[in-house]
Amino acid sequence: MKKRLLVLGLALFLGSALFAQRTITGVVTDQGGEALIGASVLLKGTSTGTVTDVDGNYQITVPDGSGNVLQFSYTGFGTQELEVGISNVINVALEEGAVLEEVVVTALGIEKDARSLGYSIDQVGSEELTKARESNIINSLQGKVTGVVINNTSGNLGASSKILIRGATSLSGRNNPLWVIDGQPVNDDQFNGGQANRISGTRDFANGASVLNPDDIENISILKGAAATALYGSRAAAGAIIVTTKRGKTKGTNNFQVSVNSSYRMDDLFVTPDYQQEYAMGSLAKYDSSSVGFDWGPRIVGQTVENVPITGGAGPLRAVDENGIRDFFETGNTWINNFAISDGNEKYDYRLSFGALNQTGVVPASELDRYNVSLNAGMRHSPMLSSRFGVQFIKTDSRGTAAAGANDVNIVGLDAFSSTLDQRLFKPWIDDAGNQINNPDPQINNPYWIRNENLNNRNDTRILANAALTFTPFENFELTGSFGYDYDQDNRFFSNRKGTITRLEGNFTTDNINNIQINTDIIAKYSFDITEDLSISALGGFNYNKRERTIEGLFGNQLLVPQLFSPGNVQQNVPNRDFREQVLFGLYSSVDLSYRDWLTLTITGRNDWSSTLPLENNSYFYPSVSAAFVFSDALGLTNDFFNYGKLRASFAQVGNDTDPYQLDFLFFPVTDATGQYSLNLNFPFNGASAYNKTNTIPPANLLPEQQTSYEFGAELDFFDYRLGLDIAYFNTQNKDQILALPVPQTTGFGFLRTNVGQVNTSGLEITLDATPLKFNKFSWNTAVNFSSAQVEVVELAEGVDRVLIASAFNSVQVVAEQGKGFELLGVPWLRDSVTGRPLINPIDGTRIAGEPKTFGSVLPDFTMGFVNSFRIGDFNLSFTIDWREGGVMKPSTVENLQTGGLVAETLLNREGTFIDRQGVIENADGTVRDNDVPVASAEHFWNALNDNSVAEPFIFDASFVKLREISLSYSFPQTLLGNSFVKNLVIGLEARNVALLYSVIPHIDPEASLFGAGADGWGIERSNVPSTRSIGVNLRATF
Amino acid sequence: MRYIKLSILFLAGLLVLPSCDKALDINTDPLAASSADPNVILPFVIVQYSSRFESELGTRIMDVPQHFSACFNSPRTGPTTSFLTGNTWGMYYTQVLGNLALVEQDALAAGESSNNVAAIAKILKAKSFFELSCIWDKVPFTEALDGATFASPNFDDQEVVFRGCLSILDEAIGLIDKVPAEGVFDVSRGDVLFGGNMDNWRRWANSLKLRILMLLRNKDTSVDGQIQAVLSQPLIESNSQAVMLRYAGGGGATNAFYGIVAAFFGPSNESALVHGPGEPLYELLSGGDPRFDLFILDQGDGGSPGNGIFPTDNSAVLRDNVIRDNLPHIMFLPSEISFYRAELALLGVTNEDAQEWFDRGLTQILEFWGQDIPGAQITLDDATISDYVSSLPAVNLQMVHEQLYLESFIRPIAAWNTVRRTKVPAMGPPSNAVITTILKRFNYPPNEVSSNPNTPVNVNTDVPQWFEN
Repeated sequence: MKKRLLVLGLALFLGSALFAQRTITGVVTDQGGEALIGASVLLKGTSTGTVTDVDGNYQITVPDGSGNVLQFSYTGFGTQELEVGISNVINVALEEGAVLEEVVVTALGIEKDARSLGYSIDQVGSEELTKARESNIINSLQGKVTGVVINNTSGNLGASSKILIRGATSLSGRNNPLWVIDGQPVNDDQFNGGQANRISGTRDFANGASVLNPDDIENISILKGAAATALYGSRAAAGAIIVTTKRGKTKGTNNFQVSVNSSYRMDDLFVTPDYQQEYAMGSLAKYDSSSVGFDWGPRIVGQTVENVPITGGAGPLRAVDENGIRDFFETGNTWINNFAISDGNEKYDYRLSFGALNQTGVVPASELDRYNVSLNAGMRHSPMLSSRFGVQFIKTDSRGTAAAGANDVNIVGLDAFSSTLDQRLFKPWIDDAGNQINNPDPQINNPYWIRNENLNNRNDTRILANAALTFTPFENFELTGSFGYDYDQDNRFFSNRKGTITRLEGNFTTDNINNIQINTDIIAKYSFDITEDLSISALGGFNYNKRERTIEGLFGNQLLVPQLFSPGNVQQNVPNRDFREQVLFGLYSSVDLSYRDWLTLTITGRNDWSSTLPLENNSYFYPSVSAAFVFSDALGLTNDFFNYGKLRASFAQVGNDTDPYQLDFLFFPVTDATGQYSLNLNFPFNGASAYNKTNTIPPANLLPEQQTSYEFGAELDFFDYRLGLDIAYFNTQNKDQILALPVPQTTGFGFLRTNVGQVNTSGLEITLDATPLKFNKFSWNTAVNFSSAQVEVVELAEGVDRVLIASAFNSVQVVAEQGKGFELLGVPWLRDSVTGRPLINPIDGTRIAGEPKTFGSVLPDFTMGFVNSFRIGDFNLSFTIDWREGGVMKPSTVENLQTGGLVAETLLNREGTFIDRQGVIENADGTVRDNDVPVASAEHFWNALNDNSVAEPFIFDASFVKLREISLSYSFPQTLLGNSFVKNLVIGLEARNVALLYSVIPHIDPEASLFGAGADGWGIERSNVPSTRSIGVNLRATF
Repeated sequence: MRYIKLSILFLAGLLVLPSCDKALDINTDPLAASSADPNVILPFVIVQYSSRFESELGTRIMDVPQHFSACFNSPRTGPTTSFLTGNTWGMYYTQVLGNLALVEQDALAAGESSNNVAAIAKILKAKSFFELSCIWDKVPFTEALDGATFASPNFDDQEVVFRGCLSILDEAIGLIDKVPAEGVFDVSRGDVLFGGNMDNWRRWANSLKLRILMLLRNKDTSVDGQIQAVLSQPLIESNSQAVMLRYAGGGGATNAFYGIVAAFFGPSNESALVHGPGEPLYELLSGGDPRFDLFILDQGDGGSPGNGIFPTDNSAVLRDNVIRDNLPHIMFLPSEISFYRAELALLGVTNEDAQEWFDRGLTQILEFWGQDIPGAQITLDDATISDYVSSLPAVNLQMVHEQLYLESFIRPIAAWNTVRRTKVPAMGPPSNAVITTILKRFNYPPNEVSSNPNTPVNVNTDVPQWFEN
């Protein structure tokens, strides 16, 4: 390894010469003087470039001397080229309707001319991110980017969002993209800590990247293919999201700017069940006031009962509107405020930003406060030396968010609302002595007790810091050393108050999770023209990355004094500690060969050394090759109809390592002897300590994973760039995956870690940008994106047809199945082999359970996004429609709503018996006959549907169409603002999750997921907090 | 000058390189060990077994042999859920047997000085395989725990498993015979059952052999010779030799029978009305047996709650004397041996005095529950015990079987075995069962089915196991 480093290092410095540099600044506007945001500025013949900020400002470093030419371009505008003269300030006014050229941010933050890229890349600008700001920035990308599927899991405050780029390729859970902020990778994990499995209830705390403040972001680049991410190495095998934050302006001398962005939103339930209101709580038509969530009681006809729910007194039996769901859930409030100041000149720039997100949730007593303070500053010490640093301090406090799943008393499910149960009667929930009161039954908790007395809090402190020093000693040569530090202290606290039914003695859990990531890059870049037509741009770099995670926690059980959460106040203390660290060294290099600006060949190579692999086999190399051919220029095909055409192709291989400490046979000291219902015993037990062997057989000769991918694409523009088309086809093979393969437990172990399997992913991405209408005061821009990613599990291990990806309840699992993809596994009905009709139990007329099978992919067949923007004078109206087609889902909330007789479809045949006409009964001779056995009642019918864990009746097509976002804004014209201190003022209305336009899944949001961002689980929902619709107002101003 | 600075920077970078290899050599878990002493593995094996056994089997299937009237998530009506079967299967094979295999392997490699450790591992292994087969009938035995050779272990017939367990127990006894007088590995800390007392382990090994032989004899009386042989060996003969894991009570040391009450329902079983006596148990004890008052609080003379029904304010409930946090996990009592001897004498297998062994067994079990069990809240005096024993008519087989049923109280597999072997007391399935008898077996867990192609096809859970007549 040392030899390779030496060779590469020497190569970086060969043939270099010394030259000075200077910085050029300016502003790019249209002909009317309106600033152009995101316009690209490129030093011609090199890969050096930048983009303009929100005020059209740019800053670029060019070699000292003559002959430097800057290219200015912007979508829909003609490119201008200006030679750099003696002035360091160049302002440009572009003309509309000419060649498209734009600068994009690629891997390692390298800005390149989009036309030189041999792979697909998507960019989202700050305007799109702040149009209708999301508390989790990932959701802002929904519907706007090709090749990306984003799932926001629930309406819980601080809920995580799962992002998947170009389908799932990893069987071992490595399907999350790498997040990079200002050149430094950051932790996007969603770590479940002490609640690692979904069986005991899920506490969905946000994924790491969700804390970013949308107001601080200038641009997000989504790198999708392996060729695009090759320089990042294995960690970006599932794609990379490159975030560039805003900076202060450097043009001129009067750049001090204050900007304010304030929003207020109201959050309400997005989808609510269609509750039936005709029948009361109870069973077999008999009223039961304690039958919460089970409405198979008598018809509500105005009768008087001796014991109404909760109060127990006599009273009339009557239905509560929407089962009281509106009484229980509250209107959430969201305040998003941001205040930023910035300044700069030729020597320095800075931007200091303060952001505040304050929310109260729809779930009673849930709150979230997040504060972001960020500083991004740069200094140009001399023409040869510049430095830059940034720091973001983020403090998040959430209180009272709800659990999901099962086996946790703190779950807030839509299936706990009965027709005759008035939620208002639950108040008050506690008496002066601290006892729970007004619960409907001695075995059922008062939901307000759960919400107000049991704690589910998170206190997260995050520091993201980066620093970079750039040395430019030679003409066209640049040496940059950068350092990144990601610190996260995530303290979680859960408790069940003494007196909580099923947790009568009270308990508390602390989980203090510390994540630290240190990243260092040293990058040398060099570019020069070999001939007038042929130029070369090369870089080489060294990367050091270290990640550490420390977890310390305590479970305290059986409290003596209520709400005193001290280890000394409990009868049972179970401490927990975990630690892991991993180090990665990388050497990388990239060479761009460009011919006449219409043909670019890019070759990259990276070698990683990972601490998690065997020392003797810890090195892996991966190359990539990509090419971009602007055939419209090469062949001179441009005309009024056809403006631009480019073909691109790429090939890449990526290696991948594994998690720490997977190689050795280990014995773990244990504190728990686990039992059913969490009735665990603790060690030391009668004074004896305990160790348990590993349950996973360590690998014998572990190899790095190997992912090979290729991509073809085309970019076409027509009608003076008013119609643009981008098509990409990709294919990925992921082999030798490092997987804990399930083995028969009868071997004494549960898993074997080894290299197995192959997963192929292929897909098509199409983006259509158009400006169908454009007049002086009116324009309509529309963008349609289509993404399809088909996942095929080509091979698993010998004799293994399925591998568990994620597990839920009642035997419902997400599995990778050979010959198929990521499938939902569940128990179907037993069917007649000839007719395919369900077999009926002749005793009671109900269906019979079969053997588990897969029901289809949990991933969508395709997604589409429709983004429309209308400018009418100073008004701007935009909306986004998000269409997800295909995939299956099992919503357990629907299962509970139906088996509980809570929803409208269960009204059918309530008063009588009926025969399941779809079924057949097997005769003694093996033939079948139409079912002729009636079911005893509708209650029996619905409740028999999931007997023996049958999942089939509750598995639905997960397709949906959502009106994801609408915003209407008005920009006060300069004529109104006059010479006031206000430079820009925009007011607007904004709405998120506006409408569910199509879904076959009844009663809930089809996007809900039991699994957070930390697991590769899709297609299963269980008692998620219902998602919300947000409507609000926004004010943006700069001074 | 610039070249000099650059060169210094470059050389400084090279200085980093020699540390790369060292920096990468960090893949050692600082919170885990590469080896472990039997004194820390055995506690895990035994306590983990007890924790899962009492909470998974105890609180969920005690209504199958109808010691309890009802259990939560019980398989009594026929279906055995994947959670019940999976958790139990995994506990036996990976947590217990997987660890024991390593302990045994290391102990045998260490030589005679660790014969005691190897013997303990073998006895616990035999007990585990025996119980696995009692639950599932055919289970991997000869090919189990050797994934390198048998990646997908075949399932052995119950007879093979039972006879194999006898052999393992013989091996264990042979090892105990060869424990050297000095220089023996001190396993007293890890042996949380007997504190390293190998005489007790020998007794338990022989007693387990007798338990297994009694099931084998149900199908094959040719084992009578082996039975007679084992009866001549040291067996568990007094309550002081009883095999129990003692629970201190309180946080982290609470027996799950009480733990489920305290965690979910209320401060005590008598107030929370969770565990009620099954009808057969209630009926057998209500004839004047002193254990009635030790076990049962009959509120308002309401009688047993009924099969599948939890207690109410007007029905019998199990007493806090039984359902308490420091109730030991009872694994073997001398009374079981005595009742076997009485049965064998009645059947003519031995020439022993059936009445004497019956009386001894009954006295032992009454003394256990009324005097010797740790933490008893209600006690029996000697006179009460002897008066009751002497009040009974002359022993017969039905009485022995009834006493075996009572003797196995609150021990799920022992009780289940007894009713399946003796058919005493007679009992049928609950009214809403989908099976035609009481539950006879578990289905194989989905994880084993999906990962082991040699897993037999599941049969109905009312199909009798091999050992049943």
